[in-house]
Amino acid sequence: MTGDIQIGLKLLGAGLAMLGAIGAGIGVGLAAMGGVQAMGRNPDAAPIIQTNMILGMAFAEAVAIYALAVSLIIIFAA
Amino acid sequence: MSETKTKRFGVKRWIIIALFVIGGYCAFGPIGILKPIAPLVVLPGEPTGLSIGTFQITNTILATLLADLVLLLAAFGAYRFVKSGKMIPSGFYNFFEMLIEMFWNMAEGSAGKWARRIFPLTGTIFLLVFTANMIKLVPGFESIGYMKEGHGSYGYSPVELVPGFLWTLDKDHSIKDAAAHGEEATVEHEAKPEGEGFAGATEVSSDKYYEVVPFLRGSATDLNFTFALAVVTVVMVQVYGVWALGPGYFSKFFQFDRLINGGPFGLIDFGVGLLEIILELAKILSFAFRLFGNIFAGALLLSIVGALTAIIVPAGLYIFEVFFGIIQAYVFSLLALMFASGATVSHHGGDHEEHAEHAAA
Repeated sequence: MTGDIQIGLKLLGAGLAMLGAIGAGIGVGLAAMGGVQAMGRNPDAAPIIQTNMILGMAFAEAVAIYALAVSLIIIFAA
Repeated sequence: MSETKTKRFGVKRWIIIALFVIGGYCAFGPIGILKPIAPLVVLPGEPTGLSIGTFQITNTILATLLADLVLLLAAFGAYRFVKSGKMIPSGFYNFFEMLIEMFWNMAEGSAGKWARRIFPLTGTIFLLVFTANMIKLVPGFESIGYMKEGHGSYGYSPVELVPGFLWTLDKDHSIKDAAAHGEEATVEHEAKPEGEGFAGATEVSSDKYYEVVPFLRGSATDLNFTFALAVVTVVMVQVYGVWALGPGYFSKFFQFDRLINGGPFGLIDFGVGLLEIILELAKILSFAFRLFGNIFAGALLLSIVGALTAIIVPAGLYIFEVFFGIIQAYVFSLLALMFASGATVSHHGGDHEEHAEHAAA
């Protein structure tokens, strides 16, 4: 019984750790918004904007990935 | 012309509809062995039974070797094509040339005269990660393997297809008989009777419950693969830095001149320089976890959603996965390029560029 509670709390913690994905989602969305607006204003600069946009999205997304790593560690390793 | 086109489209449409119907029947019909089973989530790579000495080859290593093989074949094909003297590439080599040209332009744009040295690293990373991510989506990956006795709450009873050689699992007879309906992957599970030497089943008996350990699993779903790539990349970034700037490259980390003649702010600058060492280490972590997290989460999503809704939805997610495989390979090599080209620029000369990069890292 106590084991069950422990497993349940573990999974709950893993789910809570993924709350970090909220910020990353907002960040990626903002990056995409800025990139698309810039490309709409200046289509000639699209390749440069695209590269930098993807770069920024990758960094913003890294936070979600850390959250995922933490929750995977909670589930499998802790 | 247009008539034949519409006619062919008509045939294809019926084929697709027929496939949907067959898929729906398999997933929700009465036959248990056709039903998709719930996925088994395993973090580390599992041994395939092959080994060199005491070193066990895991299924992710096998998949990486397969990706290497595919890349080598493609490289030899491209080499033969170049030797043949045809100037206009066609089909596959057109694609190859487009990729190389794109990366070469990118490298030249951001690294200038160092592009010739940085390009081999970033190009190799892109090609390897791209190939590994693409071949992981081939059906048969992560679904064909040997049988292992189920643990805990996971496991299905085996059904013999080819006597003594081929088994599949019956969805209707799982360990927890409270079978939630409808799950994915009309997978066939090959059992390997000679899989002894580890926790494998040497003999499959029908009254036990089994799970499948796949022979091949996506390389990037193993942290070892991504971590190795990340370490190589970050070490190579330092190598490029020393190559370009000589021993003076390390003044980025140990700013003794600022400490001596910078006054009180020199101390802060020195501390910031030391923090850069931690930033380099953080790069390894973020490189490794970005690729691993994306691909592992993608594989997980595909199998779980596939298990819940067997038809239509997984097809859309598959396209999504192809897209993510390309994007992650691109991002990995782009970041490697950015860090490497940043390292070749003197710290005091190209200050604005460096700052942007470090703020991002």
